[in-house]
Amino acid sequence: MTAAGAVRLGPALAARGDAVLLLPGRDVAGAALAARVPGAALAPALGAGAALCLDDPAELIGALAALDGRAARLLLLAPGLPAAPVSELMAAAGLSALVSRREDLPGAIAPEAAFAEGSAPAPQETDWVLTTSGTTGTPKMVRHRLAGLARTVKPAPEGAAPVWGLVYEPTRFAGMQVVLQALLGGGRLAAAPEGTPISDRLAHFAASGVTHLSATPTLWRRILMDPAAAGLAPGQITLGGEIADDAVLGALARRFPEARIRHIYASTEAGVGFSVRDGRAGFPESYLAGAPGGAALKIRGERLWLRPPGMPPEPIGPGPARDPDGFIDSGDRVAVEDGRVRFLGRQSSAVNIGGAKIQPEEIERLVNAHPEVALARVAVRPSPITGALLTLSVVPVAAPEDPAALRRSLAAYCREHLPREARPAKITIAGPEALDEGITAAGKIVRAPAGGEA
Amino acid sequence: MREKIRTVFEELWAEQEEGPAPALADDTVLLETGLDSLGFAIFVARLDEELGFDPFSAAEEAYYPQTFGEFVAFYEKHAGRSAAAE
Repeated sequence: MTAAGAVRLGPALAARGDAVLLLPGRDVAGAALAARVPGAALAPALGAGAALCLDDPAELIGALAALDGRAARLLLLAPGLPAAPVSELMAAAGLSALVSRREDLPGAIAPEAAFAEGSAPAPQETDWVLTTSGTTGTPKMVRHRLAGLARTVKPAPEGAAPVWGLVYEPTRFAGMQVVLQALLGGGRLAAAPEGTPISDRLAHFAASGVTHLSATPTLWRRILMDPAAAGLAPGQITLGGEIADDAVLGALARRFPEARIRHIYASTEAGVGFSVRDGRAGFPESYLAGAPGGAALKIRGERLWLRPPGMPPEPIGPGPARDPDGFIDSGDRVAVEDGRVRFLGRQSSAVNIGGAKIQPEEIERLVNAHPEVALARVAVRPSPITGALLTLSVVPVAAPEDPAALRRSLAAYCREHLPREARPAKITIAGPEALDEGITAAGKIVRAPAGGEA
Repeated sequence: MREKIRTVFEELWAEQEEGPAPALADDTVLLETGLDSLGFAIFVARLDEELGFDPFSAAEEAYYPQTFGEFVAFYEKHAGRSAAAE
């Protein structure tokens, strides 16, 4: 949005006297979030920077506002991250100070103790280190600058300040994009502390008059089924983080006929993204000759490779594959059909079944299009004979009178549409409680790594 | 055990294949029943759920029974082992 280095979170918030952060039962003014900004010195313990592990969005944003431009490096950790990966990541990032209220984290200092009286340190560019939403093992870290994270922030139109709802974890790339768009773009942010049930969060969004909502397709399917979403009337709907299929795009268009609906393709690895606004899954093949936002795209080895318009984010530790032309492997498998590039799934979630390469996401897409299905999940189980087998769990739109009949009908549907290796070995009908199971903090379906024994 | 395995086979057949399930005698060759390796994998996964164990994963050496009789004997051997371990 502006030249590198010109974006500062603290001053931008300090200039907002109105309520910019809407929490359940509590509105916080921008100036209050930036209260520690003028003249505060960092506590000596912070040294080069700090890891932040805070579950109250006001405390997290307040700490970021105070430390951005002063600390050399900030590591943003998910509030629920277990203690072992917290210390592993801090060591890998070269940080010894941790700002957190968690009692199980040794040496953690509370946010109010992170600042001392005295003169503020000289301004410096701060590394914002975010973690990727890996489903297993220690998350990977990617180093950003605020200017890069804020590149896609658009100023709000005159007179209609948008209210953004935050369903993502704010320490992740997708969540931080929403936070920065809302706070730097002149809008407001409706958020809730980590651990707030999704239904309560949706009721809070409805009460806060949320106009802009961004979520994964998995969470959108969840939202479509939740009575707490009844009062929700977003004017802009964004889907990202997973493949948006025609079924969920169509269901959202029917439920929210007034809303502009777009789905985003973004790669944390490449630090780029673009949006698709025509209501159809995938993106036009013409983007391969030039995508919105200036990223260059190409398909190599059935995978999408991207080259960001500016400097790509720097991975800390081993990064994704890069080719000599500066393209970065997104790890996303794609196919071109009828002038449309469609996403098949992550390379890492592809499964080999009896020699056939199967993408669980493709089966979910197919089953999600079945009229009686609200949500489909495919899991992989190891098999001593074929290497792996697929199991399918389905949450029906309405509780079926005869679950066995629905199972048979789904099996016949899979036989009709899928090659033999891709047909689930087992189909279970789950209750609505399954909607909240097996979803990562980033709102995506948990997938075992390819060939994993999980 | 034998009857349990037969029942699971018949259920699976009804779900996955056309027509009536073939009769299973001790000397029936498994691959001649019409079950391919994928069907066989699904059969073993289903038995794991029904019986609570999978002798193919538990066995230290790979074993490929050829007839239904060998298949049942393999399950019976492992059932005895899991019972003895408890």
